[in-house]
Amino acid sequence: MDKRPEGGHDMRIGPMRAAAVALCALALSLGVAACGGGGDDNGGGASTTGAAADQPGKGKPTVVMGSKNFTEQFILGELYKQALEARGFTVELKSNIGASEVVDRALTSGKIDMYPEYTGVILSELAHQTSRPRDADAAYAAAKRFEESRGFTLLDKTPFFDTDALATKPDFAARNGLEQVGDLGKLSSVKLGAPPEFRTRFQGIVGLRKEYGLDNIDFTPLAIGLQYKALDSGRVDVANVFTTDGQLQGGRYTVLADPKNVFGFQNVAPVVSRKVLAEQGPAFAETLNAVSAKLTTEAMRRMNAAVDLDKQDPKAVASRFLSANGLK
Amino acid sequence: MTGALAQSAPVIPDFGGGSDSCVRRNETFCWDWFSSHWGSTFQPALLQHIALTAIAVGVGLAIALAAALVAYRRVWLERPFTLLSALLYTIPSLALFQLLVPITGLTRLTAEIALVSYTLLILFRNIVTGLREVPDEVREAARGMGLTPLQMLWRVELPIAVPAIVAGLRIATVTVISLATVAAIVGVNEGLGVPILNAIPTTFNTEFIAAAVLTIGLALVADGLLLAAQRILTPWARRA
Amino acid sequence: MGDFADAFEFMGSHLGLLVSKTGDHLVLSGAAVGVSLLIALPLGVWLGHLHRGSFLAVGASNIGRALPSLAVIAVGIGLLGIGFGNSMLVLVVLAVPIVLTNAYAAVDGVDRDVVEAARGMGMGPLQVLARVELPLAIPLIFAGVRTAVVYVIATATLAAIAGGGGLGDIIYNQASYGLPGVLAAAFWVAGLALLAELLLAALQRAVTPRGLRGAPGAAAAVGPSEGPRAEAVA
Repeated sequence: MDKRPEGGHDMRIGPMRAAAVALCALALSLGVAACGGGGDDNGGGASTTGAAADQPGKGKPTVVMGSKNFTEQFILGELYKQALEARGFTVELKSNIGASEVVDRALTSGKIDMYPEYTGVILSELAHQTSRPRDADAAYAAAKRFEESRGFTLLDKTPFFDTDALATKPDFAARNGLEQVGDLGKLSSVKLGAPPEFRTRFQGIVGLRKEYGLDNIDFTPLAIGLQYKALDSGRVDVANVFTTDGQLQGGRYTVLADPKNVFGFQNVAPVVSRKVLAEQGPAFAETLNAVSAKLTTEAMRRMNAAVDLDKQDPKAVASRFLSANGLK
Repeated sequence: MTGALAQSAPVIPDFGGGSDSCVRRNETFCWDWFSSHWGSTFQPALLQHIALTAIAVGVGLAIALAAALVAYRRVWLERPFTLLSALLYTIPSLALFQLLVPITGLTRLTAEIALVSYTLLILFRNIVTGLREVPDEVREAARGMGLTPLQMLWRVELPIAVPAIVAGLRIATVTVISLATVAAIVGVNEGLGVPILNAIPTTFNTEFIAAAVLTIGLALVADGLLLAAQRILTPWARRA
Repeated sequence: MGDFADAFEFMGSHLGLLVSKTGDHLVLSGAAVGVSLLIALPLGVWLGHLHRGSFLAVGASNIGRALPSLAVIAVGIGLLGIGFGNSMLVLVVLAVPIVLTNAYAAVDGVDRDVVEAARGMGMGPLQVLARVELPLAIPLIFAGVRTAVVYVIATATLAAIAGGGGLGDIIYNQASYGLPGVLAAAFWVAGLALLAELLLAALQRAVTPRGLRGAPGAAAAVGPSEGPRAEAVA
């Protein structure tokens, strides 16, 4: 091997040197701008409002909360965290851990104490139950039983539900006579875009094949969020979406009905370690339940839109919602 | 099982925005959005990126310098160290970050171990070569003046090697700045890779353009500063 | 450490998956390298032959190194959308500067006395290029190609985020394949990069004229290392 130094000797002079000086000046001005930049918009949170002046959480051990890897979860994480902090609890939020399968491993290995989860996902992807619950309450009860069987529990569920769904462009649906998921069987091949884990989930290709007999799926794994871009560009015919996605407002996409309920009932409830729940006292669950109770479909959709479409910080959006509802 | 609070519908505040904003239309660059997110997003990410880079290059330099000084005296050690660092250099960054996660977790340490390993080959080769470039006459003269080996290293050999060392530092620094963005993919939430990664699914132009420009700008500024430092450190090397 | 043991078990039990993803990975990488060579080799060699455009070559080298691959992918998704063709274009953007800079520096750096001597023997410009400059420049040109290939194989993993397919599909899908699957794919990609490096090193030895073996070129095994050398020419 040759031992010539990478870079060798620098013989440049003149213009390059002037450029270097200019870069340094740029760095300085950048540094000044950096120092002048704003600070943290809503850091502390605890002592700012009088609405929640009581501090039952003071002195309790830190709770580690996780969240999954998409917008709604970032918002939920911030909502629960900030509401708890307003009542004196100490919360460390680990946002964007991954898909349910990954977050669940963090929970069962003790790396996190709690996270917000969807009841139907618990049943089909974590508990691997094949029987379909008949309604949202049955799904919640079954999910709670499963979590309690392994040392966790579910707090109250939210009024809103957010199921996975298949969406397509309206003209594609019209051209091919698509109203419900089963209609996709009429096509010789369906280009479907979804998050990678869709490949192996019952609430995904496995269930679509089993319940609707769809074996014509050409699957493209996509990061959550990219599916709309992929639909728009015609890269995929059908995409996996969430029913609370802000993008679904305004009729730009058609959501296919799911009469066989492959995608299940999906209300959100915080999964919490029972040990942590006991340790933190009753005010802990009360606080979280009060937040969940306010989370209607309209509220969640508006918050998702504020983050996804208007690119606001989940933290700021959550803070504004909690303040408006006297939860912070 | 619902409390009193559940009875009342939530108050949904106005979150701002609106269908006709620059952000909604996803224009090439929305200055308002950028400036309102500078303090909360970009400034911290930039500072983390600088810290990630500075630590990686600093530690890499220390290790490479130590190894190079040993290899300079014991020539047979040069080849094994070169091969080892070349092996590390060849491992794709995403794979290396991912393989470290089970050992060191989603921490800055994971990022640093991988980044340091990418600096070693570049720095080691340049330092050894720089030291070897010291002309024999110079070394003889220094010995004749009665310098001890340590004095010779400090006063003669290292100063002569400075241009080669700085050349290596420049490449290592720019490489690390670029590779540090990949750490965000495996879940190390530090540095400018985080806003780039956030912007990928939403294809929000302002966010990834801002993060990409800051990353490239940082690389160019760092390169310029190192070049300037070399000029100051080796005034004798100036030619004009 | 259990995860690592499980990773090797995963390799055994999912060999078919890994092999088929490797196939996709190599097709994407191969297409990207092919297009990059078509663009960068003629341009670099020609500029080097004319001893012109050092600004372009140097700029390509500096910018190329500073370009974070993740940012290029992000920009690529924004401008081009997702899919195989677009992932390939992104990889081409990343590979061209490496090949271009080395090709330029290699031909530009051929000893001028040798070129003069060839001219003195009555060779025309094309003959000088084909019979003197190119043979002498091959080790360094090849070093650039080698760096580019390894870089593209590594970066193609990232392209899976843009629907490019390949081994990145497994690395990004911890939910389906579990941590052992992700680690197995990471090992696999690392192995693939090393294998490519070794094969190309052997090939480079084979294409290097006997008289030049052990001389420059091998140096560029690590990254676009010839860039600053081109700077010195500027």
